[in-house]
Amino acid sequence: MTVQLVEASQAPLLARPYYANGDPGPIVAALAQVPELLEVAMPFIGMTLAPSAIPWRTKEIVILRTSGVLECRYCVQSHSLVALDAGLTRAEVDALRRPAPAAPVFEKAADRTLIEWVDAVAGGRGTPPPALMTAMELHFRDHEVVELAAVVGVTMMLNRFCTTLGLPTAPDVLARLAAEGLA
Amino acid sequence: MSPVAEAVVEGTLPGRVWLYSNYNCNLACNYCLTESSPQSARRELTGKQMVEVATEARALGFTGLGVTGGEPFLRPDLPEILLQLADILPVVVLTNATLFNESRRERLRPLAGAPIQMQVSLDRPDPIVNDEMRGPGNFAKVVEAIPMLIDMGIHVRIATTAEHIEEDDRVRLCELHRRLGISDDDHIVRPVVRRGRAVDFDMGVEAGAPDLPAELTITADGAFWSPFGPTVRQGQLDLDLLVTRTTRPLATPASALLRLVEGRPPGGDTQLNIR
Repeated sequence: MTVQLVEASQAPLLARPYYANGDPGPIVAALAQVPELLEVAMPFIGMTLAPSAIPWRTKEIVILRTSGVLECRYCVQSHSLVALDAGLTRAEVDALRRPAPAAPVFEKAADRTLIEWVDAVAGGRGTPPPALMTAMELHFRDHEVVELAAVVGVTMMLNRFCTTLGLPTAPDVLARLAAEGLA
Repeated sequence: MSPVAEAVVEGTLPGRVWLYSNYNCNLACNYCLTESSPQSARRELTGKQMVEVATEARALGFTGLGVTGGEPFLRPDLPEILLQLADILPVVVLTNATLFNESRRERLRPLAGAPIQMQVSLDRPDPIVNDEMRGPGNFAKVVEAIPMLIDMGIHVRIATTAEHIEEDDRVRLCELHRRLGISDDDHIVRPVVRRGRAVDFDMGVEAGAPDLPAELTITADGAFWSPFGPTVRQGQLDLDLLVTRTTRPLATPASALLRLVEGRPPGGDTQLNIR
């Protein structure tokens, strides 16, 4: 089953602002089927995943690693490029995308701890191990852990959403991935 | 008073809530918004759903109900549903009036005296052009049904939907409806809207949200801006006038519709006389 992605000419009234600047992408075009959901989901998703008090690079580590753990093709492809733009190296991006441990590729202790914590949160069940939470406290303040947990949660929601619906990756993203050697 | 009730009182929001009882129809008119025909999927609202929507509509401050389709009277349970709805709010029901054989007529009798208006479609003063658009035998059935309904004590209105109507036809149509017992006040003429099957026949005026009264319209597929909203084109439901998929609690689509209406310049919907 493939759900219809709503085109601009069919955009429901509450969804139209998201089409004002052209193609809004497949997540919006799918959510537009349920406009009352779109208009509350997108501001929340946007606020959670966009740059904030947490540095952009840190957020992209979390988003890409979570997407890699959950094997979301759409999110991995899209965020590989965003991660490069956020300052991650090609080797770091490549490592975050793979199921193998990614932490050793990173130099900073904070990054390594974060990746191990994401692996536990996104790939595990129950509360992450106490030692990992203690390690997180060394590098991140409470409000940052709260926000990072929200980033993992929203990313996991999107991972399942995009994978379930089989959302297509944009041709320009695929072309750039090929050019970056990340296809 | 709720914001919706205030908006209805102030005239910001129309007072009528429409219910698409079903999408199938015994006819297949060439300008039909919903591509309805005998083969169409029914996509019914149950009687219980309609009554619950009506109850919520009254509580929110809406002042009337409309029932449309498809042909609502294809549903055997419709007269009973209409009576229940009319106990809650006044009702106008749209019908092609071609199904009122003897057994159905008997089921209509309890509607007499209830706050229910029947809006019957009649497009031309003679069968040739009328039946070209609406199907063979339509004219004869309608001119037979209207006096029968009036005799029964049912308030009848006539709606004429016309791509273009010559003055002579309009005059003869008005003479006809007066002969049938319908006053000028109960005859409305409205344009074909270029949606649904009308697109295939290259008919009608383009109409979007700015042109249409924002009458909350509840269907099996969601809540729409207007009864001209949940149209079907080549078997696909149009989404451009979808407000919310959520229909209950009715406050969800009603509040969303109100927000949309408040963002619209006033008076825009009066230009095309689409009612």
